[in-house]
Amino acid sequence: MKVMIVEDEMLLAMELESEVEAAGHEVIGVAMSSHQARDLLSASRPDFAFVDIHLMDGPTGIDVGRRLAEARVPFVFVSGNIKRLPDDFVGALGAIEKPYTVNGMKNALQYISAVLSGVDDLAPPPSLVLAGDIQPPTVRRHA
Amino acid sequence: MAEKNRSKTDAQNAGDRLVASHVREDPFAAAFKATRMSMIVTDPSQDDNPIIFCNASFEKLTGYSSDELVGRNCRLLQGPETDKNTVARIREAVGAGRDIAVDILNYRKDGSTFWNALFLSPVRDDEGRIVYFFASQLDFTNVKSREAELASARHQAENEVAKNTADLRAALAAKTLLVHEVDHRVKNNLLTMASIVKLQARTTKDERQRHTLMAVLNRVEALSTVQRKLFTLDDISRFDVADFARELVTDLIGGIGRDDIHLTLDLQPLYVPAVKATPLSLIVNELVGDAVRRGLSDGGGEIHVVVKRLNGHFLIRVEDTVEPVQPDPESAEFSRLLLEASAQQLGAHIERSSQGRKTTVEVTLLVDEHRENEH
Repeated sequence: MKVMIVEDEMLLAMELESEVEAAGHEVIGVAMSSHQARDLLSASRPDFAFVDIHLMDGPTGIDVGRRLAEARVPFVFVSGNIKRLPDDFVGALGAIEKPYTVNGMKNALQYISAVLSGVDDLAPPPSLVLAGDIQPPTVRRHA
Repeated sequence: MAEKNRSKTDAQNAGDRLVASHVREDPFAAAFKATRMSMIVTDPSQDDNPIIFCNASFEKLTGYSSDELVGRNCRLLQGPETDKNTVARIREAVGAGRDIAVDILNYRKDGSTFWNALFLSPVRDDEGRIVYFFASQLDFTNVKSREAELASARHQAENEVAKNTADLRAALAAKTLLVHEVDHRVKNNLLTMASIVKLQARTTKDERQRHTLMAVLNRVEALSTVQRKLFTLDDISRFDVADFARELVTDLIGGIGRDDIHLTLDLQPLYVPAVKATPLSLIVNELVGDAVRRGLSDGGGEIHVVVKRLNGHFLIRVEDTVEPVQPDPESAEFSRLLLEASAQQLGAHIERSSQGRKTTVEVTLLVDEHRENEH
């Protein structure tokens, strides 16, 4: 797949890029702000995108997500606080919570890749929270 | 004027008749006149139900003389602040010939006000006809002002509480924001640390160095997962070891990408205070990692992970059945050190046993209920 990465931490973006490539996909570009994401989107159409919520121009990842949803580009959010996402994930397939692990990202990517190519009988890995799976907060009692 | 004088005379006469009907030394009449309780009698048979008699206490209370009162309706005690509904209720009771007890704000002759606990009752003759109305008045202005003071004090206290509550909410919101900000930075830093190690592991040409860096990465990632799980709970001071174990082992098996690893889990929610989250998670990580190094990633096999409470203990058990390979001695030694240090920190007991291809490692930890509840 052609993958777009929207992430303002360059080091994280680079590592994610190498993991995406190691899994046999192509990274068409990294955007660090919502403007760069818009420019990238108008230049080429990715098959899939990773979108961080906090970008260089603020918490604009949500807007990038909306734009992707309008353009019908599947994507997941990658964020340190997925509880702050709107309930409907603004059309994202799901969210990967930071700090993710190598295995967690690998399994999520494998699942996403399979789902986008039409496989629909897979169980999602624990690292990927699907849209609609966010449970309302429950009161935890002592074990 | 002549009309008014006539009705006043009628009222006066009615009052005189009432008094005359009692003998001079009638103790009831004497009591009526002398009591400290203000009392009046009105005559409903006359136009506008005028006062026909009042005692000295009533004169003292209202500031009017008996002369000024007799022949007048009681409404002369009303003023602008007197409650209209209360007046209507009194009128209604009089009209219906019923008793009534009400609190009403009245006015003295000098215009000052007092709170009057009024009791009004019809007096009937032998045939049951109403012949008089009797009313007593009690000045409870002091009580009323104390009530007002209390109400004002309560109001003030409520305002104070509301203000303090608002301050506390604002402080809590600021604290929550700070916690979120710090949590965000910790998570980002952990991921950045992992990225730095990964970057170096990718850059190095030395297989041994790469191996070491990946071993470091594995432990950094265990801590990352703890941090992520710690903040998912609403109660951030508690941590579910079973939830951690499930994610760790499922992601690990998925990451290894072998179809011939058979994973079974026996996990029950096991909440521990946040301070124990790191050593317990490292223990789970080392036990599972050990099975992987001893052959699980080389030739597949079975792995069974247990996290539960058993007889007042926390039990973490990893059983694996693998075709054993000789693990790298340095890696094994490093893992053993981490496991032992974590167990020592928790006062946990490690037991290892092997039977053929099957290895069982069990870590038990006595639950200190008292300390557990403190967190």
